[in-house]
Amino acid sequence: MEWLLWFTRFENTKPLSLAIFFIVFCGILFYVFGSKKRGERLESHKNIPLQDDEI
Amino acid sequence: MATASVTTAGVGTSEQYNYDIVRKFAIMTLVWGAIGMFVGVYIASELAFPFLNFDSAYITFGRLRPVHTSGVIFGFGGSALFATSYYVVQRTCQARLFGGERLANFTFWGWQTAVALSALGYMFGYTQAREYAEMVWPIDLLILVVWVAYLGIFVGTLMKRKQPHIYVANWFYLAFILATALLHIFNNLQVPVKLFSLESYSLFSGTQDAMTQWWYGHNAVGFFLTAAFLGMMYYFVPKQAGRPVYSYRLSILHFWAIIFLYMWAGAHHLHWTALPDWTGTLAATFSIMLLLPSWGGMINGIMTLSGAWDKLRTDPVIRFLIVALSFYGMSTFEGPMMSLKDVNALSHYTDWTVGHVHSGALGWVAMITFGSMYHMVPRIWNTEMYSLRLINVHFWLATTGVLLYIVAMWISGIMQGLMWRAFDDFGNLQYSFVESVAAAHPFYVMRALGGAFFLTGMIIMCYNMYKTIRQGSTEAHAGLNVATA
Amino acid sequence: MKHDKIERNLGILLIFTMLAISAGGMVEIIPLFFIKETIEKVDGVRPYTPLEQRGRDIYTREGCYLCHSQMIRPFRDEALRYGHYSLAAESKYDHPFQWGSKRTGPDLARVGGKYSNDWHTQHLIAPRSLVPQSVMPNYPWLAKNDLDYSDITLRLKALRVAGVPYSNSQAEYERNVKDFGEDVAKTLHIPDAEKNLVAQAKLGNYDTDPSNITELDALVAYLQVLGTMVDFKKYDDDYFVKFR
Repeated sequence: MEWLLWFTRFENTKPLSLAIFFIVFCGILFYVFGSKKRGERLESHKNIPLQDDEI
Repeated sequence: MATASVTTAGVGTSEQYNYDIVRKFAIMTLVWGAIGMFVGVYIASELAFPFLNFDSAYITFGRLRPVHTSGVIFGFGGSALFATSYYVVQRTCQARLFGGERLANFTFWGWQTAVALSALGYMFGYTQAREYAEMVWPIDLLILVVWVAYLGIFVGTLMKRKQPHIYVANWFYLAFILATALLHIFNNLQVPVKLFSLESYSLFSGTQDAMTQWWYGHNAVGFFLTAAFLGMMYYFVPKQAGRPVYSYRLSILHFWAIIFLYMWAGAHHLHWTALPDWTGTLAATFSIMLLLPSWGGMINGIMTLSGAWDKLRTDPVIRFLIVALSFYGMSTFEGPMMSLKDVNALSHYTDWTVGHVHSGALGWVAMITFGSMYHMVPRIWNTEMYSLRLINVHFWLATTGVLLYIVAMWISGIMQGLMWRAFDDFGNLQYSFVESVAAAHPFYVMRALGGAFFLTGMIIMCYNMYKTIRQGSTEAHAGLNVATA
Repeated sequence: MKHDKIERNLGILLIFTMLAISAGGMVEIIPLFFIKETIEKVDGVRPYTPLEQRGRDIYTREGCYLCHSQMIRPFRDEALRYGHYSLAAESKYDHPFQWGSKRTGPDLARVGGKYSNDWHTQHLIAPRSLVPQSVMPNYPWLAKNDLDYSDITLRLKALRVAGVPYSNSQAEYERNVKDFGEDVAKTLHIPDAEKNLVAQAKLGNYDTDPSNITELDALVAYLQVLGTMVDFKKYDDDYFVKFR
């Protein structure tokens, strides 16, 4: 478990966490806004609550 | 799982959805709201006028305070979340609740028993002495079983949905259920004194115990009081406004960012303590980052109204929902600011923290619940609200109450922080501690008054709801008579 | 086929959500259990005696932590008002921790020895008779209730399971003699717990009424030990900084 100590040092955790979050954030951003077609599909879901009265 | 949908079909009721369970939880939301807020006003008054403790062990501040917090968080907030999540998941999945009446009713009776017994227990001195997790270990176990059933019902309903996409409100509810399970289990690891004793000692001690507790405490706020109520917001704001949410893609971003970032922020409750500094600094960094998704969500909710702003003037329910979002925006700005170490040095241990919690709890959680209830209750009883004017009265009482409350706590909190650190010309402390207590008195009175305003609004809501439900039941009977005639 | 895909989507949502909510807690909590530097090495910190532990139970029962913190921060005003800032080591036998989050009343981390037993007794029964502006409730029942110490051995055994070094065997007793010295080790021996509790209450006479052992005896015994275990004259302040 000694290797966990590595994470307690700020000079390590700061750049590491920055890199991980930035990559994940860019990934989500790309997924959500990257393609117009996917965007249209995602936006179509926003009507789900308004459809429930018709059924 | 394929058999599940067969077993739940056709359980002796003609309703498409299981609204019975929603009705039960909705009623208990009102009951716990009134009880929990009454106890809150009472303990606030005890701080202003200590004779109100009446030398009785059962109603001293120390024993009643957990009754207040459990009553409003788990009784009022919890019941509201059960009610709305069962309502939303059925309607957005177009599927009846998984597991049948019995399992759903088990979550109802189990949860109500847990909250009622824990509240009674506190008055008799049975507590784990962990803030917001005071329930003794047998009640913890009961809650765990109820929660597993809840998760089963929720996931099961999602699995048998007729709608191919899972609507984002359900994501928030799901994250809330999962996170609460995780937090509940790890923060309640206890060694009982003996098998038939309600008393126990926590497994962890000192620093580790503090970190575990505030990881729990902060995320109880993050998931129980925020993520879940955001789920509520993503359904009820669009429904009441009659238009879809502003941006669905923003809501996806909002979801992932908020559930990821929240879990890191707990240690900001332990700045300047014996907890290693790096934990606090990390937590403060994430607290600042949290501002972005929080405000993203707020803007998404408020902008849903764009093009229909006139509804703010005409519809008191929309007003509740939008003011709730505004308070959400305000307290999610205040929170990251208070997590900065220098601000925290002043604000921690003072009434400012209490004010911050209540701007979130009254302004955001309670207001969004009121709005959602005013939308949902007439629909599940198949009627109209008894009185729109009373909703309006409730709105103004609630808003005035919150403002009185948080302004009082800002003043007394900052005053306490400054008085404690004030030095005279000779480098000695300028004030004794008790001088800061005496100076807070007028603001404690003002806070109790603000609470009383809010409680009055709550009681008016109960009356309005009672009339609405009565009217709904009689309409249903009348309809039945016509049909059989 | 289509149904298959839907189920998978829900599974993915569940898994990703679990991952996202677990990360923060794991990084911040797990290291605390392994890092040696989390807790300072100081002499004097010992588990509570049976009477003090029962006093602590009453402290938690009455919800004292809701108005009193036990965590002094490293600021000049707190040093003047309360004393040396709190060390992690000083609460390492606290199950549960009682650092608190609010100071409606003053911090109690170093209240031990500051006031006499008489003062505490009077103050707990009627705080405003000594501090007129106080908003603390009266606790008259503490002086009336006899202390229930019938299950004291079970309590210490439970704490022992949680990691507090109370001794239940000769070997454990020897270890405690080595770690804490003979006088302290005797008070931590579970088979003698009841005897030790009665002896300390009789000797200390905390509630100023020698005829019986009340809840007030136990609570005052606990308050009087708070923050007194570490002798700060023995340490250079720079020594503690590296643990922060």
